[in-house]
Amino acid sequence: MKRPIRIQNLGGARAMILHRPHPTVAALTRQLAAIGLQVTQAWPEAGAEAMAQDFIFFDADMGHDEMFPWPVQQAPMPMVALIGSEAPGRIEWALRAGAHAQLLKPVGDNGAYSALLIARDAFDAQRAFYAEIADLRRRLDERQTVVRAVTLLSARGKTEAEAYAQLRQMAMAWRISFEDAAGRIVGGSASEEGGNGKHDRG
Amino acid sequence: MTEKRRIELGSLYSLSGSYALISEACRTGVLAAIAAVNADPALDLEFVAVERDPQGNVDLYGPLCEEILRDSSARHVIGCVTSWSRKEVIPTIEKHGGALWYAVPYEGFEASDHVVYTHACPNQHLLPLLNWVLPQFGPRGFLTGSNYIWGWEMNRLARERITLAGGEVLGERYLPIGSREIDRMIEEIRVSRPDFVLNSMIGPSSYAFMQAYRALGEADAHFRPERCPILSCNLTECELPALGEAAEGLIAAGPYFRGATGLAGGHDFGSSHEARAYASVMELARLLAHREGSETWSLAQLLAADSGAGGIVDAETHHTVLPVIIAQVREGAFKTVQRTERVAGDPYLTRGRNFPTAPMLRVVS
Repeated sequence: MKRPIRIQNLGGARAMILHRPHPTVAALTRQLAAIGLQVTQAWPEAGAEAMAQDFIFFDADMGHDEMFPWPVQQAPMPMVALIGSEAPGRIEWALRAGAHAQLLKPVGDNGAYSALLIARDAFDAQRAFYAEIADLRRRLDERQTVVRAVTLLSARGKTEAEAYAQLRQMAMAWRISFEDAAGRIVGGSASEEGGNGKHDRG
Repeated sequence: MTEKRRIELGSLYSLSGSYALISEACRTGVLAAIAAVNADPALDLEFVAVERDPQGNVDLYGPLCEEILRDSSARHVIGCVTSWSRKEVIPTIEKHGGALWYAVPYEGFEASDHVVYTHACPNQHLLPLLNWVLPQFGPRGFLTGSNYIWGWEMNRLARERITLAGGEVLGERYLPIGSREIDRMIEEIRVSRPDFVLNSMIGPSSYAFMQAYRALGEADAHFRPERCPILSCNLTECELPALGEAAEGLIAAGPYFRGATGLAGGHDFGSSHEARAYASVMELARLLAHREGSETWSLAQLLAADSGAGGIVDAETHHTVLPVIIAQVREGAFKTVQRTERVAGDPYLTRGRNFPTAPMLRVVS
């Protein structure tokens, strides 16, 4: 999949650092402010304000599932793990919490900008994949509808290949997916041959 | 007269190698500022330069910077020309809790807690330059650069901006630093016939290119500056002697060109490189003055102590507010064609309107 990476639009973006007060928070805040973000810090829980953030930086060392106001792995924004202890259990938890990128502690003078861009790119890619998977899954579920539509069209004296081609042409004419066109045929709303999509349900 | 504290100040400029002319301009500014500080009876300090010369060899910057910070009492170093060398010294500067004053234009996307960036970044050179050039000459550009971060990032930004404006990048070519093999680049430009050429090469590559491009313009009128000019964000007066006639028509952006007022505070500097190196040392002197023991403070401490006193260094980004001047070489000197006052350095292009969302050019029929 080829998507251009998003470099713009960081100005005025909001970032929350979920970490107890610490020099790492100060250093990270300095970096993020220099980049142009508005930064807040919270601990031990993110609270409802987290939902309004564009980025979350979270402590992987002391973190726990309840610190986020969303179900595990369903963060609505890019997440960056702040990793001090590289213990496998903590890395596993950070991944399960939904880390899209990481920064090693102690955070010093750099690293935040690449973490922001990498986290956002990974988040965008993940979201695009989820959407694509959901669409494929739906189409898979509608295989049966397609089979029924082709059977219905064949019943009017067409071969299976002709019926299939006709269904494809209908989908193109109506500017809807193949599966949606099949749904219309099966649903009967387009039972008139040459239906032109005037009863578009989409 | 106030008793003067003796403060060592590191200077790290290559006096030989491919960008020696720029280094010399910076060093001239540094030495002039040191002389001015030392002669100023109102300042309770005198600077002693601790100079090292990396001779244009990028691998000598780290070790020589280390030498300054280890073997002298200097905490502040002014120096570096290429971004490559700057990135080499930052870890050393950090390790010793020192500060680097960087006085040449660069490609942005950096805001180290240990560096002050006193020359222009892209919202103070490249973006206003393209804003001025595209409507006048057209939106089809050819991008060139030396093969390191400055050229790469300048051309990435130029491509982004040209594309946003509905224009087209007809080619993008790089040469190794020091290379004079410009024939292929010139041939590609001749064939693609762009509206302008962005030259982000440095040193001998840039000089050879400018000379060959001038010859191309003599053979084919399309490539004369009035139809297809060369643009630069790093060429200043300090390199005009190396360019000679080939500089005629060059359009450049910078915070100062010879004869410009405002920035220089009455001084007649030879170039913006010299002017910003001078300004860096003067600002450091102001920060250190009348603060006993401040020569051992970190840059962050120094800026915090000075907070609100009207210094030139932005506390968040460590960049400065500069005029943006677009100038064209005419009869051997830069003549201002557009001037914008007080543009704050915006290294990450996140402050202000650096990226229009709609194309800024419309087709006029």
